Amino acid sequence: MMSLKRFIIIISAITIVSSCKKEFLEVNPQGQLTEVQALTDPDAAEKLVGGAYNTLYLGGFGNTTVGFLFTIATDIASDDSDKGSSPSDFPPAAEIDNFTVNPNNFVFNNLWNGHYAAIARVNRSIDILEKSTFEESIKNKLLGEVRFLRAFYYFNLVRLFGGVPKLIRVPDPSEGNSDEFQTRVSKEEIYQVIIDDLQFAALNLPLKDATPVGRATKGAAQSYLSKVYLYQKDFQQAFDLSKEVINSGKYNLVPDYSLIFREKAVNGVGGNNNSESIFEVQTGINVGENAVSPLFSNGQGARGRGGWNDLGFGFNSPTSDLANAYEPGDSRVNASIIFIKPTLPGNLNVGTVLWDGFRIPSQDSVENPRYNYKAYHSPLRESPQLSNNKDTKPKNIPLMRYAEVLLINAEAAANLGNIAEATTRLNEVRTRANLPASTGTIENIWKERRVELALERDRFFDLVRQGRAGTILKAHGKAFADNKNEVFPIPQAQIDLSGGRLTQNPFY
Amino acid sequence: MKRLFTFISSAVLLLIFTTNVLVAQEIIVISGKATDVATSETLIGVTVVVKGSTQGVTTNVEGAYTIKAPANATLTFSYLGYTSLDVPVNNRTVLDVKLKTSSEMLEQVVVVGYGTQRRKDVTGSVGQVKGEDIAREPVLSPTQAIQGKVAGVQIISSGAPNSNPTVRVRGTGTMLAGANPLYVVDGVITDDIRNINSSDIVTMDILKDASATAIYGMRAANGVLLITTKKGKSGAMVIEYNGTTGLKQASNLVNMAGANQYAGYINEANVFYGNGDVLITPALLQSGANTDWYNAILKTGFQQNHNISLSGGGEKNTYFFSAGYFTDAGIIKTNDFDRFTLRANNEYQVKEWLKFSGLASFSRFNVREVNLDAFNVAYRAAPYVASKIGDLYGNTSLSNNVGNPLLNLEKNHDQGLGNRIQGTFALDLTPLKWLSLRSSFGVDLDFYKNQVYGYRFLNTGENNVFITEGGNQLRTNSGLGVTNNNSNRWVWDNTATANKTFGDHTFSLLVGTTAERFEFNSLSGTRINVPENRDQWFLGAGSPQGANNNNTGDKATRNSYISRLNYSFADRYLLTATFRADGTSRFPSQNRWGYFPSVGLGWNLINESFLKNQNTITALKLRGSYGQVGNDQIPTSTYFPLASINQPYIFNGSEYLGISFDQLPDKNVKWETTKEYDFGIDFGFLNNRLTGTVDYYNKKTEDALINILIPGILGDADNLFTTNASNFSNRGVELGLNWNTKSSTVWGYSIGINGAYNKNEITGLNGGQALFDGGVASQGLVTKSDNNQPIGSFFVRQADGIFQTAEEIAASAQKDAKPGDLRYKDLNGDGNITDDDRDFAGSYQPKFTYGINGTANYSVFDISVSTYGTAGGKIYNAKRAARSDSKDNIETDIAQNRWTPNNTQTGIPRANLDPLPASTYFIEKGDFFRINNITLGYTLPKTFLTKYNIGKIRAFIQAQNLATFTGYSGFTPEISGGSALSGGLESSIYPTTRTYAFGVNVGF
Repeated sequence: MMSLKRFIIIISAITIVSSCKKEFLEVNPQGQLTEVQALTDPDAAEKLVGGAYNTLYLGGFGNTTVGFLFTIATDIASDDSDKGSSPSDFPPAAEIDNFTVNPNNFVFNNLWNGHYAAIARVNRSIDILEKSTFEESIKNKLLGEVRFLRAFYYFNLVRLFGGVPKLIRVPDPSEGNSDEFQTRVSKEEIYQVIIDDLQFAALNLPLKDATPVGRATKGAAQSYLSKVYLYQKDFQQAFDLSKEVINSGKYNLVPDYSLIFREKAVNGVGGNNNSESIFEVQTGINVGENAVSPLFSNGQGARGRGGWNDLGFGFNSPTSDLANAYEPGDSRVNASIIFIKPTLPGNLNVGTVLWDGFRIPSQDSVENPRYNYKAYHSPLRESPQLSNNKDTKPKNIPLMRYAEVLLINAEAAANLGNIAEATTRLNEVRTRANLPASTGTIENIWKERRVELALERDRFFDLVRQGRAGTILKAHGKAFADNKNEVFPIPQAQIDLSGGRLTQNPFY
Repeated sequence: MKRLFTFISSAVLLLIFTTNVLVAQEIIVISGKATDVATSETLIGVTVVVKGSTQGVTTNVEGAYTIKAPANATLTFSYLGYTSLDVPVNNRTVLDVKLKTSSEMLEQVVVVGYGTQRRKDVTGSVGQVKGEDIAREPVLSPTQAIQGKVAGVQIISSGAPNSNPTVRVRGTGTMLAGANPLYVVDGVITDDIRNINSSDIVTMDILKDASATAIYGMRAANGVLLITTKKGKSGAMVIEYNGTTGLKQASNLVNMAGANQYAGYINEANVFYGNGDVLITPALLQSGANTDWYNAILKTGFQQNHNISLSGGGEKNTYFFSAGYFTDAGIIKTNDFDRFTLRANNEYQVKEWLKFSGLASFSRFNVREVNLDAFNVAYRAAPYVASKIGDLYGNTSLSNNVGNPLLNLEKNHDQGLGNRIQGTFALDLTPLKWLSLRSSFGVDLDFYKNQVYGYRFLNTGENNVFITEGGNQLRTNSGLGVTNNNSNRWVWDNTATANKTFGDHTFSLLVGTTAERFEFNSLSGTRINVPENRDQWFLGAGSPQGANNNNTGDKATRNSYISRLNYSFADRYLLTATFRADGTSRFPSQNRWGYFPSVGLGWNLINESFLKNQNTITALKLRGSYGQVGNDQIPTSTYFPLASINQPYIFNGSEYLGISFDQLPDKNVKWETTKEYDFGIDFGFLNNRLTGTVDYYNKKTEDALINILIPGILGDADNLFTTNASNFSNRGVELGLNWNTKSSTVWGYSIGINGAYNKNEITGLNGGQALFDGGVASQGLVTKSDNNQPIGSFFVRQADGIFQTAEEIAASAQKDAKPGDLRYKDLNGDGNITDDDRDFAGSYQPKFTYGINGTANYSVFDISVSTYGTAGGKIYNAKRAARSDSKDNIETDIAQNRWTPNNTQTGIPRANLDPLPASTYFIEKGDFFRINNITLGYTLPKTFLTKYNIGKIRAFIQAQNLATFTGYSGFTPEISGGSALSGGLESSIYPTTRTYAFGVNVGF
């Protein structure tokens, strides 16, 4: 028999070793960085700014900023393009095409979520930046970059939805459900946020060439500010700011329009970040294959009817109306639209051969008659992903081009009665397109905007801004309802999540 | 008088023992024979121990034994399945005994967690399956083998080699946290028991109600399966061999249209209802190919299972060694699996008061997995394309934009290799007669390596692999992915158990602590352009371009305090109370500790005086219990705000990696708590020939984790927030009945029936929204989990017959329809059929599960049958619903019986190239009844065997899954996989397999 003493010793020993210390249950995530740990990095603020730029990639069929669904929402709504793809594919896009959108259309929920996700990241980095110990000029440059992004995103939101909830700081989770964040503010109040942010950015950002390619510049902030003022009909400010961009001498039109949307320059002309690029979504090849706007190129690529290794889903098919909007001899039409050839009897079909030699078969093998050339990414001559995944083609998306600044300047000048200046700017754009000179009237400038910026997600907003959306889109055969369809519906899901505090746009 | 004597001698022995005074006694040699009291059969391997010592022997093949013992000692005879017998020696040198079978269920001992209990003292709901019933079925996993054997335990099995069956005890009570039960193998907590050789199992005990499971508090909400493995017995060495070899094949296939039927259907769809073109032209059919794609990818699989064990022991130790080898080639081409297991369970009685036991197992498996997508691809591929001619494959991507399923299998190689070491090492101390202490340390080390190689193949030019060039199926670079996972878990339990009896009062108190740590590490990489030669399938052999490496980990800890009190008064009134306090690293410090109490009461009416004077009822017990248990199976870092790292952006043409804070966690995540009532009755009639159990339970899960959508303005990356915001209820009745008779020496049989009814319901989404899940291509999400509905309920349009005439269409809400189209109910009456017309249409959760099992023996022959069935569940035929390409193949049934103007009396709509919307048309009853196993055995007569000194030879033939009776039209009504929210969608499933096997059992 064991002695009682020995027994007591064993019991105590077991009790002591098995009563674990409190720390035993404190386990940090393995191989994952907590926010607390991340903030101990001296570069944390700068990395958060990098993470804010990353929101330009939000796309695909998911939460989207300026990617595939944004293109669907804006171009397809306009008279520039039809839904495309096969007739039954993706009904939410068909609703947009026909203006039968209802508040449950998930495209707008994803645009809402994508933009607010981006704004939340910006607000988070502003929060950290303001607490950081960077030198003032560095801090203000970084603040300028993220505030530029925030303005850019609010500009999209206010044009898509009108007034929206205003978030310019990170809400504490407990505040997330407060009236302050769950109700819409006026359109004007959002425009004030945009103007404040862009003015701060214009003041604190360096000029092009003084900052790495891809980062927001003074020129980008001024260009967007001039565009915002155009929307506000503040033509003097629009004129002055666009003039400043022109006078900066940092930008020139690319002589050959067709090279603007290529990845690589030809003899130093065109390509990504070309001489007229002011702000552009930067994409590239990386190991994660995630430095891209997913589906942007593929989603708009020519769609086959089986039988050939096609380019994509075939959405955003340019209308014949757009094709006919180009004047004869306009070099831009064949650089903007891929025309599919009708099928001929026998073996006479050569199909459509693109700039790189890629051949698209004739109409019997292809779903739609026209495709967006500006979204084309060459499988033969441009950088493929290692996996050859078509969904993640590295296609840069130019968001602001010098040509648009010239047209903003022309339109502002025309409105200010300065027809001479307006004519000069307009003809700079027309000359590049191999078109004869014309006069800088507002009508001519609007006409020029359509063809110059075709399929660049601007047409619908432009029509609304110009007050002609109803007239033109109804004439185009769409079920556009005045005083309703100038904006899209607030997503029903968000209204529900706000407990009904978010109000719906009229007549939805 | 005899009883008095036994009592006195025992008391004396006890006295001697406890006072540690050894009185010298004359040692004599006793010999004798053990036989069955009813059949007079000799019993081999009966343990004979001198009571109060560890000295013992076992009977040999003639049932004989010889033992030395003091002349006044008592011998204890024990034998599995028989009632132990104490016989005083009384100076006799010859002592023959007759043992009585104890097949009566209420005499069983059950494992209850950190200890055992006599079945008759149990107040909770505990099911038990004997090892021999598990080992009988030729399946890999012990969990699959208990299908249909325990009421209220639903096992969803799969025919795939190395598959881990889904187990649900008393319904599904959680959405996001794991719904699998807890497995405890010889005290080691685990979640996967595919490493356990069924032949090594003594019993599997299933703790069902909260009073039984509460001792495992934190992980017990889904039930607990306890596995006890075999140990040696003192006495001569026993050698056993069991082996089976068999063939397996798919038990049911779906017939697909042949080339002409296919062409007829597709062309009709397009000529009459589409753009008018003939899509499948005679030219396409010219090759004459008519491929049955299932035939092309399936094979007959070979399966074998060999087990050998050695066991025995001396006075101070016992040993059990076993080795097992199991192979299963599967039924899909390229599929293969084998497993090798070793076990050593040894016990050493170091001192009278100290026992050391080491139970350790090693298992190693090698598997070549197949991508189950092949099954769906074979369903879709056009039949006019040849599968393979010579070395060239049919080009299905040209026919209907789908990969060639055979090529998919042959051009991919997915090889897994697993090694697992699992063991328990324990010290048992008995410092005082009434007190035992146990310290047990369990380890579970798991090492898994996976190589996935994709061969390069092109569709044009020199390396073209297709009969017809072109299409879009190609792989321009070969690719290799290598993953090395290893995990280790240790569990350290320290318990003390005190047993005391004061008159009619018997107490047993358990107290203890446990601690557990789990660590996981995964290292993986991918490379392209790795040579085809298997010897070069290493990351180093690939191209540095695009090389990708990753390393992730996980870690979790748990610490608990446990206690249990069992009290019984005069064997009539029983009380079991448990309390467990659990701490886990998975919850934030303010919610870290969970407290799980339970109480169970029992009343053994049979021991009451008013039931003394009757013979009909032989057992009767009422039970009632209540308890709370928890579930902490959530990802380890749920409550941490994490940074998203490596968020790229391109500056100056090169990648810059940023970070973002875009994941909003619930920093207050807490335990899911399940509260359960159980009322039961255990009974036995006619000398316990008929025994049974009935239970009613009501189980409520509160604060179950659920993902809720949060407003977009908060900027969460996926707009989801994981929080405790749902309640579930599972209520049901379970019944088990057993009839057991051994009427003569040559003839006996037993029949067991069990059944369970369960009602699953979501009772509260606290601020959470209904959850949609279950994606089907082109149809969107087809399940909705909402209040007052079973979890994962189908939520679709309501099909309401077929339009026959234009008038019917004009009067309907589907103005664009054509005769032959499905009509849907316009539930909201708005004159349009939209998503707003969807309604609930049942779920995969079955209402009834049942099993009927029987054994019989006549002379040297034996037969056993086990069956299983479910009823009340629905299945969504997702493979039929998802028409991914307009030219996908169709089932023969659809091709033949589709609506045409000449065939209007049918439930199948007209030929159609477009996908149909999700509707009840795709929902079918999931009811089935299956004969799981039939085994016919023949035991060689003893007279023959004794000549060769062989204990036993039995040969048998068996059929696994001989027949399934179901109305379901798909491959199998058992849909494994899918989460709780999306169960029961059949899209790519490994069909249930049928196995015919031959086997032998040999014992020495």
